[in-house]
Amino acid sequence: MASITLTNVEKVYGSNAPVIRNVHLEVGKNEFCVFLGPSGCGKSTLLRMVAGLESITSGELHIDGELMNDVPPAKRGVAMVFQNYALYPHMSVYENMAFGLRQAKMGKASIDSKVRRAAAALQLDQLLERRPAALSGGQRQRVAIGRAIVREPGVFLFDEPLSNLDAALRVQTRTEIARLHREFGNASAIYVTHDQIEAMALADKIVLLQAGTDMNRNGSVAQIGAPLDLYHRPASRFVAGFIGSPKMNFLPGVVKAVDEGGVEIELTTGEIVRARVDGRQTSPGMQVTVGVRPEHMNLADDGRDVQSIRCTVRLVEHMGEHSYVHVEGGHRTPATLIAKLAGDSSLTRGESIRLAVPARACHVFDDRDFALRRLD
Amino acid sequence: MATLQGQRVFPKVRIGVPLLALIWLAVTTMPFFFVLLTSLKTQEETFSAPVWALPSSLYFGNYLAVLRGPYLRYFGNSVFVVGVSVLLIVLFSAMAAYVFARMRFKLNKTLFGLVVAGMIVPLHATLVPIYLLTRNLGLYDTQFALLGPYVALSLPISIFILTEFMRHIPKELEEAAQLDGCGPFAVFWKVFLPLSGPGLATVAIYNGIGLWNEFIFAYMLTSTPAHRTLPLAVWDFQGQYSSNIPAMLAVVTMTSLPLIVAYGFGQERVIKGMMAGSLKG
Repeated sequence: MASITLTNVEKVYGSNAPVIRNVHLEVGKNEFCVFLGPSGCGKSTLLRMVAGLESITSGELHIDGELMNDVPPAKRGVAMVFQNYALYPHMSVYENMAFGLRQAKMGKASIDSKVRRAAAALQLDQLLERRPAALSGGQRQRVAIGRAIVREPGVFLFDEPLSNLDAALRVQTRTEIARLHREFGNASAIYVTHDQIEAMALADKIVLLQAGTDMNRNGSVAQIGAPLDLYHRPASRFVAGFIGSPKMNFLPGVVKAVDEGGVEIELTTGEIVRARVDGRQTSPGMQVTVGVRPEHMNLADDGRDVQSIRCTVRLVEHMGEHSYVHVEGGHRTPATLIAKLAGDSSLTRGESIRLAVPARACHVFDDRDFALRRLD
Repeated sequence: MATLQGQRVFPKVRIGVPLLALIWLAVTTMPFFFVLLTSLKTQEETFSAPVWALPSSLYFGNYLAVLRGPYLRYFGNSVFVVGVSVLLIVLFSAMAAYVFARMRFKLNKTLFGLVVAGMIVPLHATLVPIYLLTRNLGLYDTQFALLGPYVALSLPISIFILTEFMRHIPKELEEAAQLDGCGPFAVFWKVFLPLSGPGLATVAIYNGIGLWNEFIFAYMLTSTPAHRTLPLAVWDFQGQYSSNIPAMLAVVTMTSLPLIVAYGFGQERVIKGMMAGSLKG
C-alpha cells in the first residue's frame, strides 16, 4: 500500500491554456479515491499523470513520500486498468497476467502461483489458455483487473473501467472491484469515472473536478470529500448541480433578512423561503441562489404551516418506485422545478399543487456561487 | 419507378460485370497457358504447329534439360537472395515504422516524408551508381551484391505500409506494456512486432514476389552462373544465333510456380497491403 500526494499540480499542452490547474490532493494508504467530473475536466489526464503516462508540467507528485515526477511508469509501483482493457491480443489470459511479472524477472513458480491465485479470485481459472478475442467484455475486464492485481502494486489506477460494459454487468463488476480492493493487499486506488453512482458506491473519497471558467477561477478541484459530504454539503453550485440525479433545483433570489436561525430569501418567483444556513457572510439585498434537491421536496399538506411553493404540474414521469413531477412554480417569474415524489402519485398535467420546501433542505449559494455553511 | 428501372438495369450489371471479369481473366491467364503449353512441346513442334495448338504429346524433355543445367543453383541463389532480403526488409521496415508511427520527435513527419519520397525515385536512375558502388565494395558477382539494392529499394513502400498498420494499434497497449516494465525496444519486440503479423506478412509476400522476378539488378550485378538468380536462367537457353523457346518457357513455368503457390496462400494479405498503401496515397 502507498500514499499519494499531489502538490500544486498543473498540466499544459504546448502553449495552450492549462487543462489541469492547482491540484492539491492526498490519497491515504488503503483509501479508495474517485476522480469524478464532467467530460473534459482532466480526470483521466490527472490519473495518467499519476501513472507516468503523461508528464507533469508543474507541481509535485509523491508516492509514499518519494518524488515521482520523472520516474518511469513501471518504477512507480502502480498498476492500471484501462477503459478498453488493453489486453495483449496475441497472448493468452495467463500470459497477459504473467507479462508484467516476467518483465520484472520473477521466478516461474512465483509467477504461476500469483497468476493462479488472482485467476481464482476473479473466476478466470477456466479461461487461462484463451486469447482475449475469445472472451466476453466482462471477462476481458476481469483479466485486465487480474493483470493489475498480480503485480501487487501499492496503487491501483482505474480509468473508467466499467464504461464499456452493459448496465447489469457494470453493477456486478463494480461490486467485484470493491471486494477485490478490500481483499488484495489493501492498496490505495484511484478510480476515474463520470458516473456519479459509481463514484458514490465505491469511494472513500471523491475528488470532483471542474473545467472551463470554474477551473480558471478556482483550480481544477471543485471539492474533495466523502460521498455523503459532497451530497449534503456541496461547496459550490457546481458541486450541488453535479452530484444528485435529477440535479438540484436552483432558484435565484435576494436576501431579505439574516438571523441566527438562518437566512430569509425572496425568490424571483415571488415566494419567500427560509434556509437553515450560516448567513454571517451575507447581508440583506445580496443576490443568492437557493438550491433544493428534487428528493427533498414533497406535496405540502394544506393543514400544516409548512414553507412551500405554489406550482402547476407540467409533466409526470412514472418510474415505478417513484415519479418525477415537472412543475412550473411561482407567481412573479415562473421557474421550472423537478420534484421526486411517491411512485403512486396521481397528479395530472395542469393540476395546481403546493410543494413543501423545508428550510433544512435548502442550500444557499452566494453571488460567487459558493455555498453558505448549513446549520444542520 | 425506381424499382422498375432497377429491375431493368440489374440483369445487365449481373451479366456484364462477370463477363468483363472473365474477359480480363482470359487476357491475364492466356499468356501463362501459352507458356505452359509451349513448354510441353518439342522445339520442332513449336515451329511447325500453330502457335495455340495443343502439344501432340506431353513432352517433358525441356524440363529435364532445364533440371540438368544449373537451374537448381539459380533456384538456390534466388532463395538465398530473396529470403535474406525479405528478412532484412521486414526487420528494418518494422523498426522504422514503429519509430514513425509511435515516437514523437521533432523531425518525425519530415523524415517519414523523405522515406516515402524514396518510392518516386526511378529505378533506372540508380543503376549506374549502384553498379559502381558494388564494384568498389568488391561485391560484384557475389550473392551479396543484390542484397543491398533489394533491401534499400524495397524499404520505402514497406515502411509506408507498416507505419500505417502500426498507427492503428491501440495506444493503450503500448501504455500497458510501459506499465508492465517495457522500454521502447521491448514494447516494439514483445507487443508491436507480434501484433503486426498480418502487416509483416503482407510486406514479406509483396516484396518476395517483386524480388523473385527482379531481373535488371540481377543482370547488372552478377555475371557467372554460380551467382545468378532465376530470372537469368532463361539466358542459358538463348544462344547467339538460336533460342530454345520451349526450354526457355519451361524455365519460366518453373520459376513462376513457387510464386503462384505463395500467392495462393497469401492473396488476402497482399491485397490488404495494397489497400493499406492506397488509402494514404
